[in-house]
Amino acid sequence: MSITIEDVKKLAKLSRLEFTEAETAEFVAELEATLAQVDAINKVDVSNVDLLEKTINADTELRADEIKQSLTAAEIVANAPDAQDGAFLVPVTVAEE
Amino acid sequence: MKYLDYSLTEIIDLLNSGQVTSQELVRECFDRIKETQDLNALNSTYFDEAMKRAGEIDAARARGENVGALGGVPVVLKDNINYLGTRTTCASKFLENFVSPYTATCASKLHDAGAVIIAKANMDEFAMGSSNENSAFGAVRNPVDTSRVPGGSSGGSACTVAARQCFASLGTDTGGSIREPASFCGVVGIKPTYGRVSRYGVVAFASSLDQVGPLTRTVKDNALMLNVIAGADDMDMTASKVAVPDYLADIDKGVKGLKIGVAKQFFSDKLSGDVRTALEQAIEWYKEAGAEIVTVDLPSLDTALAVYYVISSAEAASNLARFDGVKYGVRAENYADVVDLYFKSRTQGFGKEVKRRIMLGNYVLSSGYYDAFYRKAKRVQKVIRNEFSEALKMCDCLISPTTATTAFKLGEKSGDHVAMYLTDIFTVPVNIASVPAISLPCGKDGQGLPIGMQLIGKHFDEATLYRVANAFETAHKEDK
Repeated sequence: MSITIEDVKKLAKLSRLEFTEAETAEFVAELEATLAQVDAINKVDVSNVDLLEKTINADTELRADEIKQSLTAAEIVANAPDAQDGAFLVPVTVAEE
Repeated sequence: MKYLDYSLTEIIDLLNSGQVTSQELVRECFDRIKETQDLNALNSTYFDEAMKRAGEIDAARARGENVGALGGVPVVLKDNINYLGTRTTCASKFLENFVSPYTATCASKLHDAGAVIIAKANMDEFAMGSSNENSAFGAVRNPVDTSRVPGGSSGGSACTVAARQCFASLGTDTGGSIREPASFCGVVGIKPTYGRVSRYGVVAFASSLDQVGPLTRTVKDNALMLNVIAGADDMDMTASKVAVPDYLADIDKGVKGLKIGVAKQFFSDKLSGDVRTALEQAIEWYKEAGAEIVTVDLPSLDTALAVYYVISSAEAASNLARFDGVKYGVRAENYADVVDLYFKSRTQGFGKEVKRRIMLGNYVLSSGYYDAFYRKAKRVQKVIRNEFSEALKMCDCLISPTTATTAFKLGEKSGDHVAMYLTDIFTVPVNIASVPAISLPCGKDGQGLPIGMQLIGKHFDEATLYRVANAFETAHKEDK
């Protein structure tokens, strides 16, 4: 599997992560090494595998849809880096013309 | 320190007979924590709260009230388990200041059973790692040899129990994160069947593989802890409704008549000489104790690690997408707009290994690669599951080493992530197959470092694992 600098840049964008040029180059080598290992999955014959058939936890079910007490807005925003009146504060997302 | 060498089950007897109080135990634990703080096992401690709660339990016990199965016993939680009002950092800079707004089900079950939660344990950041060197708050040291790693990612949870800072702890295990540190530190750790313990309130790494489990100094202690935390939960639909047995009920029944499976794939050339010898001796002991040893085959075992890295990284990339510097966690200081805020906060907040998994996860999920990697890995997972099911039809449990080597030196593998990933080759397949497995000590290597053996069971048959493990531990008590 060959990975390019462009691949890593695209992935970084998808991941919302920034890397220096040196880190990007390092990631090319690292991803290649990891993917070489991951290639082991191609050794297994999976032509007869049905992904939809359940194996365990067949007893799982959703709980009844009932209204119960949950966290308050104040409790939820207590961990936010910036909040006001029970709402999360973010920079302007829609700019004026 | 009069009481810290007692096991959890022994200390409960002493508490119940009035020979020691919970407050005395909390004090001793904190003296020990102070004395051994260089191990860096804990991220936060709660002395005042613990003393208050211990006092309440002591008073209730004195009044003759039922104080629960763990009434008054000091325990520690891994730092990815929410406990109302305490910091839950996942050993990440991102969550440095995060305070739990609610309590995880496993923690509230411990609390309801009378346990006194005294601290949160250090770990690899977001539970990603096999050495506990990936913590934003520094590496944990192995109490057996402080120049070595304790294993990861529940390194702090294993270390705190081995160092006698508490009587039991909870860890989480996605690919070996309870069993590998248990093995390296010489304690007992179980990864229960997927769905045996609720994951509600436990910060997710790979949701289809994560499972909570206890780390303890004895097998019986471990069974007692699982008795308390196992069971269905309205808040986690993957927590199974399969009835929870009393894991202590048949624990002393011995192994006579049981079948233990050995797969040659677990005894590869990667195994160090001392580990191989210890395992062969354990198998020999089981034979002499009346178990039948049968040979089984797990032909796809060596592909499990590849499956694991695809599935766990894909789920991790998705789970960690919520860390954006808006809802919780640390926000970067300088940014141009809201998208830049995401980029900068994530870049500054996450450590290197976490970024590595997010990148790999997004790669295998991205357009053009999804079928070749993620879908393919899910199919191979099915093959591995079926192989385990077939193997476990021929026996009551499987035996294997927990790790190929004993604890390695701090820094020894930190520059080579592929070598680090290989540490998990014997533990990862268990998560891929969703079956339960316990790691328990089975001797020491030439340098006096603990060796761990792993017993792997059928879905929801933790009781047999405890029975088989307890037989070995009871017969080898004097070797400790």
